[in-house]
Amino acid sequence: MKVLDIIHDANSNLWRSKLRSFLTILAIFVGSFTIILNSAINAGVNQFLDKQIENMGGEGYLEMMPKSTYDSISSMLNNNGIIEYTEERDNGETTSYIKDEEVEKAKNLDGVESFYLLSSASADYVTSKRTEKRYRAMMNLVVPGITFDMSNGKAPNTDENADYEIAINEDLAKALGYENIAEIVGEKIQIAVPNTLKCYSTIKRNECQTIIEATVVGTQAPGILSMAGSRANMALWNRINEINTEGLPEGSQHSYQAVANVDPEKKDEIKKQLEEIGLSAMSVEDEAGMFQTFFDAILIVFNIFGAIALVAASIGIINTLFMAVQERTREIGLDKALGMSNSKVFLSFTAEAIMLGFWGSLFGIVVSMIVGGIANKVATETFLSDFPTFQLTIFEPWTMISIALIIMFIAFLAGTLPARRASKKNPIDALRYE
Amino acid sequence: MKSALISTRGLKKIYGKRDSKFEALKGIDLDIHSGESVAIIGKSGSGKSTLMHLLALLDKPTEGSIKLNGKNTSKLKQGKLNRLRNKEFGFVFQSFFMNSNDSVLNNVILPLKIAGIRRSERRRRALEALKTVELEDKAKNKANDLSGGQKQRVCIARALVNNPKIIFADEPTGNLDSATGAKIEELLFSLNRNKGITLIVVTHDEELAMKCDRQIRIADGQIVADGVSGAKHDPKLIEDENLDGMRDKNHTKEIEVEEK
Repeated sequence: MKVLDIIHDANSNLWRSKLRSFLTILAIFVGSFTIILNSAINAGVNQFLDKQIENMGGEGYLEMMPKSTYDSISSMLNNNGIIEYTEERDNGETTSYIKDEEVEKAKNLDGVESFYLLSSASADYVTSKRTEKRYRAMMNLVVPGITFDMSNGKAPNTDENADYEIAINEDLAKALGYENIAEIVGEKIQIAVPNTLKCYSTIKRNECQTIIEATVVGTQAPGILSMAGSRANMALWNRINEINTEGLPEGSQHSYQAVANVDPEKKDEIKKQLEEIGLSAMSVEDEAGMFQTFFDAILIVFNIFGAIALVAASIGIINTLFMAVQERTREIGLDKALGMSNSKVFLSFTAEAIMLGFWGSLFGIVVSMIVGGIANKVATETFLSDFPTFQLTIFEPWTMISIALIIMFIAFLAGTLPARRASKKNPIDALRYE
Repeated sequence: MKSALISTRGLKKIYGKRDSKFEALKGIDLDIHSGESVAIIGKSGSGKSTLMHLLALLDKPTEGSIKLNGKNTSKLKQGKLNRLRNKEFGFVFQSFFMNSNDSVLNNVILPLKIAGIRRSERRRRALEALKTVELEDKAKNKANDLSGGQKQRVCIARALVNNPKIIFADEPTGNLDSATGAKIEELLFSLNRNKGITLIVVTHDEELAMKCDRQIRIADGQIVADGVSGAKHDPKLIEDENLDGMRDKNHTKEIEVEEK
């Protein structure tokens, strides 16, 4: 008997008890639908996170702080903020600065493409000519060598001698009076920068602020990881720092943070080496990782639901086929009398199980694609409207095919039990069976 | 004399063990020659069905040998036995055993499908077999919609479709009224005469048994009588015996029992 005939017969045998087959397929469908939709959401969120990481500076971007600072913060977090004081450890260096020799060592590590000590730069607010309102400013430095995903315009010029350039978030552009976001590109915005010394000795804040102008060269789509920050170029950053620290004694300033752009391939190795030097480094992925862990946990729960549904469906397959074997006892006897081998009888029943798995996963794929498509549309119009680049569900053909194959394999395993019983039947007894 | 097509020596079949032991066949020596029509007659429980199952290689004897065309079958592997049954034997059963929801054509095709013959070829051969039983116009009908006599003709077509050397018929007319049964008998005997197919009929019906060339009577697992009938065949059918010489060449060739 040919394989094609076996498959064809298996499929037409399913039609002999339509309702029973349909219910079994329905049970498989529930499992396959859940798992396929989960994997599509997983793909969607992962792609989104990748874009976010790209937005935040990409895979090679590292932020560093002294190890002692990091340890102090993490031990605070791990002990609800209650830590016993000891003379040896807490000698006033818990919030330490990055030392010159550490910088030298870090710069020379293999794979470190650029390394910048971050002088602090703080601004009070930003505003524009189109609005009376002022918005609190959060400044980030555009580190040379790092590419940013811009929704309009281009990334700021990283040359130290360039004009003051800034990239801002699309939401900020809207708030600053640019409903049509693209219009802000090339416009100037005003930034209020305080001087630490003057602000210390004056009561009126506006008396210690200097207003500087910077050109908006690009906008970024909002994301979950880089919600609020504006990105200043090196020239603007240095100017802000200069205003901040004017009048402070020479040498009293230290850097508490550094950023680097490294070869992504060597990132893990570099992080280890930095640790030895005394710098704790975090990549964007580390930050995204926390979100991802949370998200993964949710997906695991849903996948467990899917798996439970599949286990139940397997029992359904076993039951359905045992009934079919019982009903077709005489038919099996006839087939065997006419020369069908035990293995072909076995194959024809497992083929039926595989067909149940096939239809169940096919319906799972089709329905989850329809539901996923609708969910995408609804999501982008409602709660995800702030993230136009985010697709809630992405259906990857190979993922779906492999899920379907796995489900068909599970169905096959379930089918082996009844198929074994069928293949073991003695043709004479089977023919006598009433 | 030509060697026997089927030859059994000391054939025993024992069911169960020890206390519940039941000896269904107690040592059967039997030779059946090619082209014969043989009736195995006996009451229910006599062992006639067991004998047929052994002859048809559906079951294995506890003791004794079955030679098919001079070759011992006990050493053949299961796969070989399956192929032998598929290619060389045809089966007709009392209660038909059809897939009632399938079409007539598909029922006839079954042995060819098991043999793995391609679609167009098996369709052609099945239609040919249906023509022999004069049911080619019913090919597309559902098997269930046929009358009892038609069903048995479909089963004969199914037994015929692989050009078998032997047809085993187990009470072929048992479920039919006498008029319909007579037609089925006529069909089986004409296949025996015209195509040279050896016919082995298991029955308790004396009338049917007497129409065969030879009657083997079984009682309590033993042959109690083996003889040639004096009043064989209807007078109407005797005329057809002249056709014996025109037997299909294909069917006089010997069964090939390949040995491993």
